This record gives sequence, C-alpha cells and structure tokens, in this order.
Amino acid sequence: MAPFDTGRTGVETGKPAQGGPPALPLVPAARRRLVPGTAVQGVAAALLAVLVLFALIGPLAWPDHAVQDLSRFLEAPSLAEPLGRDHLGRSVVARLAHATQLSLMMAIACVGTALLVGTTGALIAAWRGGSIETALNGLSEAFIALPALLVILIFSALANGDLWTLYAGLALSQWVEYFRMVRARSALVLAGPAVEAAGLLRLGPVHVMRRHLWPDLRPLLTTMATFGIGSSILALSTLGFVGIGVRPPTPELGLMITEAFPYYHEAPWMSLAPVLVLSTILIGLLSLRSKEARQ
Amino acid sequence: MSMRLNHLVVSHADSTLVDVGTLDFERGRPVTIVGESGSGKSLLAHAIMGTLPANLTARGSLAMDGQTFDLSDRANRRGLWGRLMSLLPQEPTLALDPTMRAQEQVAEGATSFTTDSSGARRTAGTLLAALGLGHASRAFPHTLSGGMAQRVAFAAATIGGAPVLIADEPSKGLDERARTELAGLLKLHLDGGGILLTITHDLDLARELGGDVLVMKDAHVVEQGCARQVLTEPAHPYTRRLLEAEPANWNHAWARRGAPPEEGGTALVSGEGLSKAFGGQQLFSDLSVTIRAGERVSLGGPSGSGKTTLGNVLLRLLPPDAGYVHHAVALRGGRLQKLYQDPALAFPARVALRDPFGDVIRRHRLEPARLEELMASLGLTPALLNRRPGQVSGGELQRLAIIRAMLLEPALVFADEPTSRLDLITQELTVACLMDQVDRHGCALVLVTHDYALANAVAGRRIPLGVAVTERLVQGAGTPV
Repeated sequence: MAPFDTGRTGVETGKPAQGGPPALPLVPAARRRLVPGTAVQGVAAALLAVLVLFALIGPLAWPDHAVQDLSRFLEAPSLAEPLGRDHLGRSVVARLAHATQLSLMMAIACVGTALLVGTTGALIAAWRGGSIETALNGLSEAFIALPALLVILIFSALANGDLWTLYAGLALSQWVEYFRMVRARSALVLAGPAVEAAGLLRLGPVHVMRRHLWPDLRPLLTTMATFGIGSSILALSTLGFVGIGVRPPTPELGLMITEAFPYYHEAPWMSLAPVLVLSTILIGLLSLRSKEARQ
Repeated sequence: MSMRLNHLVVSHADSTLVDVGTLDFERGRPVTIVGESGSGKSLLAHAIMGTLPANLTARGSLAMDGQTFDLSDRANRRGLWGRLMSLLPQEPTLALDPTMRAQEQVAEGATSFTTDSSGARRTAGTLLAALGLGHASRAFPHTLSGGMAQRVAFAAATIGGAPVLIADEPSKGLDERARTELAGLLKLHLDGGGILLTITHDLDLARELGGDVLVMKDAHVVEQGCARQVLTEPAHPYTRRLLEAEPANWNHAWARRGAPPEEGGTALVSGEGLSKAFGGQQLFSDLSVTIRAGERVSLGGPSGSGKTTLGNVLLRLLPPDAGYVHHAVALRGGRLQKLYQDPALAFPARVALRDPFGDVIRRHRLEPARLEELMASLGLTPALLNRRPGQVSGGELQRLAIIRAMLLEPALVFADEPTSRLDLITQELTVACLMDQVDRHGCALVLVTHDYALANAVAGRRIPLGVAVTERLVQGAGTPV
C-alpha cells in the first residue's frame, strides 16, 4: 500500500475544469506521437535503414555468392572486395548481402504469419468464447509446453533443412505469444463498458474492431513484432550456427560465423562481418522498440 | 503540536492553481476544504504533503512544531511521511496493493516495520481488529467492499502514528452508511489528538465532521469559518450556490417530488421472478419489476446490494439465475440506452471522441447537425470531440454520453450512478441536462443511485434493494416516494 499515492492527482490537474481555473495546456495525443524520438532511436533507425538497403541492393551488386576461386583463399579486404574472400575463395560481401536478405525476409515472413494467425485466433477466441475458445486455448497451451527449439527441430527433420520447414517451424513456435497476449487484452476490452455501450448503440463488430480493439492492440503488436523479428533472426542464425538450419551452400549469418571460426586468426574480417550485421540488427530493433514502450 | 500554512501559491506556467493566505491547524479541530473539481483543493493537500506533480511549482512555507519547511522543495517533508503526516488517498480500492493481504500492507506503514516486521504485523492486526476488520485481515483488497477498503486504507495511513492526517476526497464512491463510518474513523483520529485536513466535495461529510470549513473556488478561499455557520448561513454567493446544488435543495421544473407513480403506460421492460446470486451471496430473489413508458424510477440501496446487477439483468446484459425479462418492441434498434458511472470507460479509450460519434451517426443515418445542436444545447463546444475520453473532464464526458444516448431517441435510458463521481455543481448541471433531454423525448428513465436525495428529486417511484427487502415483491407501482 502506498499511503502517499499521488496517482490520482491528475484528475484535478491535467483535465480542464468546468468553470474552474484555466485548464492546463494539454498536448493532444496525436501530436505527442509525432514528437521525434531520442537521438538513440534516430541512430537505430538509420542503422536499420542502411542494413535494409544493403539487403535489398547488395545481392544485386554482388550476385555471385557461390563462385569459388581457391587461388584467392582468405584474401584480405580490398577496394574491389570490401570484406575479402573466405576459405573457399568466395566473396564475403556477396555472401553477407545474401545472408542479410535471407535473414530479414525469413524473420518478416515468420513474424507476419505468427502475428496474423495468433491475432486472428485470439480475436475469434475472445469474441466467440465457448468451446472454440477452450479448443484454441488448449492448442496454445500444448505449444507452450513444447520448447520452441524442439518444434523447429521436428520441422527441419521433416524435410532436412528446406527453407519452408524453417519458416513453418519458426512461425509455429511464435504464434502462441501473439495468441495469448491478444486474447487476454481483447477479452478485457470486449468485457468493458465501452463495448457494452457500443452493443446497445447497435454499432456492430466493425466499429468494435476499428475503434476499440485495434487502437488498443496496435502498440502491443508493434512492440511484440519488433521483438519477434529480432528473436527470429537470432533463432535462424542459432540454427545455422549449430548446423541444423539452412543447408551449407546457401549463405546464412549463423552458418557464416561457424564457417569463419577456424580462420578467425588469419581472417578476422570473415567472422566479424556477420557478427556485426547480427548485432546491429538486434540492437537497432531493441532501441527502436523503446519508443513504443513509452507511449 | 500545531501546524500553520503560510501563503501557499501553486502555479503552472502562467496560471495560478492555488493561492491561499495563512491557514492554522489545531489538534482535535477538523479543517475541511470544500469546492468543485478544479478549484485547487486537492493540490493544496498535495502541496502540504510534498507530492505535487513535477510540472507544478509551489511557493510558501509550512510551520510544524517550531520547524519551518519551504514548500517549493518537494523533498524536505519526505522524512515526515507516516511519522508526522500521512495521506488517506481517494478511491482506497485503487490505492491498496491488489496483490497484498490487508494486514501485510497495513504493517508496511508501521515505523518499526524494517526492524521488527512481526511486531509490525501484530500491531496491524490489532489496529484492523479495532476497526472491526479482524475477520478480514487476511483478505485481498478486491474482496473488500468500498467501506471496508476505506478502513484498511485508514489503518495503513494511521499505523505510523502520524498526528497530521490529510484525507483527499475520502468519501468518493461511498454510500451513506460507509460515509457515516468514515466520518467516525476521522473523528477517532481527532479524538486521539490528531490534526485533520479533509478535502471533499461532499457537504454531508463536512457537516458530519464539523470544525472549520473552507470554501475554495478558482484557486482561492472564498469563505471560511465554523462548519455550522458556513453550511447553514453562507455569506459568499458561491457557497450559497454550492448549497443550492445539493439534490435535496433542487428546485427544477422536472423535479417530481411527491408525484404519484405513473400508471397506464405500456410496459417497456418487465421482469418476473428474477433471482441472481454472486459469489454465494443472494442479491435478490423472486423480484418482479415493470418499467413503463415515460416513467422515472430509481433503483436504490447501499453499495453491494445488487443495484447495477439488477439493472444489467433488466437490460438483458446479464442472464438472471431464475425468471425472465421481456422487452417491448419499442426498445428495438438501440432505443434502450445506458449511462455509466465512469463515462471515461464508456467510450473507446484510444481514439478521439469524434470517431465513436461519427460511427453512431453513420450507422443510424442521423443528421450530423443533430449532434451539433445537442452539443450546443448541453453547453459543450465542438472542439471537445477532438480529444480523447481521458482528456475531457468527468462532467463534460457524462454530458457527451447523454448526447450519445439521446442521438438514438431512446424509449428508455438506464443511468447507473451517472453522477456519483461528480462534484455537486457538476452533478446538478449533468442531471439537469439529462432530465431536460428525458423530458423532451418523453423517454423512461431508470436511475441507479445510492443518494436518497438525488433519487427523491428525480424519480417518481423507487425500487429499494438491500438485504432487508430482498424477499419483498416489488411489483408495478413499487414504493411511491
């Protein structure tokens, strides 16, 4: 208990009073959101933009990520080859560009699918209730009981490291958190007086979706998705690192780190490049996220 | 000891929110500040405590026991909290920690808690037992009624033995019985030689406490003096206005004091043999209620007596355990509307008010001009629609809720404690707006309230609820007021 609770003072200070003293200046919510973020967020956004550009243009600029030239084994960085060549004489920058593109695309696809499936399921469960909710809830609990890595492993064992199995495994392991968060949140909103009033006004489900649920869920989903993209990229490279992810000729960040390991002394740029990309993506996403959390 | 407040000025940017001269507080003599929301009375309490929001600046000084504190420094009174001064927060159910049992959170307020926690727990147990809560010391706050939560909060605020107690709107949301109990608690503090400052817009509480009363308006004290004198023979016009705003003193054309119950209208809502229990407690059983067109009914009873539940059963928002509710055809298509106790919760929280109103107009193909017309007649500026519900004052938002309900020209409006969170003047304005609209559309009104005077002023008949009347059959005419 906080005997000195001041949480409610806003009632008398923040709101315009009737016939009372002049109201305190209120910053409209819409404008507050447009206030530029901190410098950290600016830097994070810039770094992420550079990486996305690299992922989009890089593979076009350096298309040959698989061409081997053993005579150029572990070549040091030069102007033509900014990151040098690896132990098989392949261009590291070309592999890095393809790997970044793959990671970002996979992560976005996985998070998008998980978000869509989880949110749709959650809304159906919260809205309809009854046996549908019980069934969906049971399913989500079954998935929570399974470790995420196990789900991915089972799927990659099915088709031996094809991209779609990784995608399906990652998406399947992630939809549960969206489902549970959205269900809990929207059950609260749907049970509130505002939605009850909307029902008495005969405003229909579109209104409830658009005015009540979506504005409430949006900040939550943005935060979760930013986190989700980061953890998907990390999961993908972890799988590559332990050798059960993407199959070897395809460049992938985790795989590149593993391959570069034996040569870290002779060619440190080879292992540093993917590590740098990975940490930039993660730090960038986390720094961006704090903006949402503060809203 | 004594306490003296010297020339307190609280300001934000260029506007002055509180500006009072010298105030003296004595042991055993209660000081009560009354006034409407926004008059600065709560800020005065927080300025004394040192708990003002950071964007406000305070000037002035506070003398206690020969020590003088500069009020512009927020931190210098922190060491006094709990030992010399403590705050009884408003809305105790929100101020208590929902995850802690009553005795545990009361014990944390004891000064000996860090050195001797089991002793503090014992003290807390004794204190709660003395307040008649011995059986509830292991209870979590959500299982307590408003009055019981208030007593737990009182125990937590006073366990440290602070002689100065500041109560900020302590009677908000409490029914008559709980308010009398609260006044008893506060007097207990005074009898122990304490200093009491109460901030309230509840004149009945001020009357019960006695002592000195200060009337605040627009940051200034407009009248002060002995409670009996100020509240019976007010000198300042504003105090007179405040007293006139009490429902018992209303004098409006729509007030139906003593009107006979209307007969012969078509039944809009009829419930037969209704029963409902919540958590093992039977709220009502075999209750039959009929609401007729154009009628004004009040549902009364102490908090926890099932007023809101009965209302929701009658609105068919909640199924009864037994019995059935029949709605007339006239109520179809949104012609049955409800007003909520907290209007901020009745609008979608995160969008500007323009959107929900726009949706109502589009969905029911109404003339947008009707909204403007209603807003003008209820004294609201169109600019309010650009704000979110949380940025509009309670009184204005409740009037917006009335407009939203009236847009559909309802046959029956169900108002669930629509003004229990508003101050007297705002309450009168809001009820006047509501009754004006009800009169104009000739719609029926069911008013849920624990305020007998308000029910009396507005309704033609009263359906009482509560343990004593549970078994009683309230049919048709009910109890004429």
